[in-house]
Amino acid sequence: MTRRTIVAAVLGLASFAFGQDEPLPKAEAILDRYVEVTGGKAAYEKRKNEVATGTFEFAAQGLKGALTRYSAEPAEEYLVTDIEGVGKIEQGMHNGVAWDKNPMIGPRIKTGAEKMQAVRESTFNSSLHWRDLYAKVETAGTETIDGDLCYKVVLTPKEGNPETTYYSKKSGLAVKTMMVAVNQMGEVPSEVFASDFKSFSGIMEPTKLIYKAAGQEFTLTIMDVKTNQPIPADRFEPPAEIKALMNKAADKK
Amino acid sequence: MKTFKWPPMNADKRGSKRIGLSVCGLVAVVLYGQAASPEKQRQIASFEKVWTTIRDKHWQKKPGGLDWLAIHAEFYPRIEAAKSDEEALAVMREMLGRLKQTHFGIFPAAVYNDVEGEGGGDGSTGIETRVLEGKAVVTDLDPGSAAEKAGVKRGWVVESVNGKPLAPVIEKLKSDPEIHELALERAVRSRLMGLTGNAIKVVFLDGAKAQVTRDLMLGQERGQTARFGNLPPMRVFFESKKFGNTGYVRFNMFLDLVRVMNGFGSAVENCMHCDGFIIDLRGNPGGIGGMAMGMAGWLVDKPDERLGTMYMRDATLNFVITPRAEVFTGPVAVLMDGSSASTSEILAGGLKDLGRARVFGTKSAAAALPSIFERLPNGDGFQYATANYISEGGKALEGLGVTPDVEVKLTREGLLAGHDAVLDAALEWIRKKK
Repeated sequence: MTRRTIVAAVLGLASFAFGQDEPLPKAEAILDRYVEVTGGKAAYEKRKNEVATGTFEFAAQGLKGALTRYSAEPAEEYLVTDIEGVGKIEQGMHNGVAWDKNPMIGPRIKTGAEKMQAVRESTFNSSLHWRDLYAKVETAGTETIDGDLCYKVVLTPKEGNPETTYYSKKSGLAVKTMMVAVNQMGEVPSEVFASDFKSFSGIMEPTKLIYKAAGQEFTLTIMDVKTNQPIPADRFEPPAEIKALMNKAADKK
Repeated sequence: MKTFKWPPMNADKRGSKRIGLSVCGLVAVVLYGQAASPEKQRQIASFEKVWTTIRDKHWQKKPGGLDWLAIHAEFYPRIEAAKSDEEALAVMREMLGRLKQTHFGIFPAAVYNDVEGEGGGDGSTGIETRVLEGKAVVTDLDPGSAAEKAGVKRGWVVESVNGKPLAPVIEKLKSDPEIHELALERAVRSRLMGLTGNAIKVVFLDGAKAQVTRDLMLGQERGQTARFGNLPPMRVFFESKKFGNTGYVRFNMFLDLVRVMNGFGSAVENCMHCDGFIIDLRGNPGGIGGMAMGMAGWLVDKPDERLGTMYMRDATLNFVITPRAEVFTGPVAVLMDGSSASTSEILAGGLKDLGRARVFGTKSAAAALPSIFERLPNGDGFQYATANYISEGGKALEGLGVTPDVEVKLTREGLLAGHDAVLDAALEWIRKKK
């Protein structure tokens, strides 16, 4: 037996032993642990709304911008990203209507799988409500992400494509998500890397998110998160162009 | 497994072996020296750059359905054996030709210089030209430009700039099958540009076929400076007017996103009861592809219609049209020519395929793919596409272009007489549709 074969055999035994001694935890436990390590259920429940500010950078294209995201219970959202040379890209969710308005494509109302994806993303304290958002969760193994051994959890939503999130075995934090992002142009396999977790009002949130999709990469950096803010009541109201589309759709029915 | 790196493994082995032969030692050193000459290094490095770029960035994991590794094995020895830059160029062009796809080309450094000209600078005379029957003919003049003030007229022929005649350049570029109308127009345009504030001497042939010389001060190009990421700042103009009760828009690029999209939207909104709407994309080389979808949203009322589909290595993107709350439903004409490229073709081709617009003019540039130009280590230009685009009618725009429904060519005589034959044809069609 060559030295290389011996090493391989030992490694094989080691992984077998790992599999025997340490069965994979259930996905439910991994997801609940995430809530615990990021602040705990009580801390999440105290949080009724949030205003996050940060930056957007699409380095390869030389595009930069500022972003502000308002979100509130139960699933209200308004996100505005102002990018130099592109303008204001707005998206939101209000009373179950998911919408998007950007200077390039114009205003539109999201439907189907894209809408359901928007619902999951805008659900406030979504980490706490995973049982409502996903029909099935299961641990699919372990994988090392950037040197960090992670549990691989496949989350299958009630409607839409499964998402795979990698939770650090050591810290319990979600460090990577793979998903098929849906927008009006189609389905795009995407990866999101989360890092630089910081505590805001008792809850740990990633402040650096690197998105990789269709050969492109862009970075969101969260500078500040304020919770339980006096957000104006009309903050989540869709803009006039979206309301006009809603009226048009209603007229056609 | 064969590894590909410089210096090539086989050349190294061959050289070492020969050096080991005492009798032939000197010969071996000479041969080895030849294999590693700077010229050969540049040729091989350029070949490797082209080959690896296609391997890594082509929209198909198996580029052109070919065994790309086998292509390397086939062509690498030929590059090694190439005795000149011309031979190396021919080998690389043949390799790219195996893809049987457009937008993959290598342009010799000399051609690059022919297209780019010598001037540099973004000062403009305000003259727009097209090469008609082998001559650079003035087709338009920017309002208030030096050329307009100097009395230059549409239909005049640009014969020379600063003493250098254009005819030989046009003839040379026209003889290269790789050079299309868009590049030809760019070659002429670059010669009419220079540093702002400088003057250039331009000799024209006027309507009476007499030579006319004008010293033209170079000024800022028409429009406003637009910035988009890493692209250099560019001047973008947007023009909107009415011919009777027909709306008309023209813009030189799909850039300056907010201003151009708002301008387009306002033009349509102000024309909801017009007899027709004309989008003049002549000379428009494209820009941000998504803007085509946004513009179409003002003209197409049926949800989920598409202009076409872009195929990338990791994703397929549908150019879906999102109808606005209020949409113009009257006749739409799109004006095109051989300098209308990329996003212009996506918009015109898609609207045509959907039966939503009638296209007037001449065939477009057939350059719809997002492609990148890079300089190779040997100085040649290398163009490659990173996606494929199929218009809604099922045809690739790349290499085929948008064929007009009504072919109308500009002529020098028509321009001298003050006519824009393409615009006139579109207006006449709209008048008849009323």
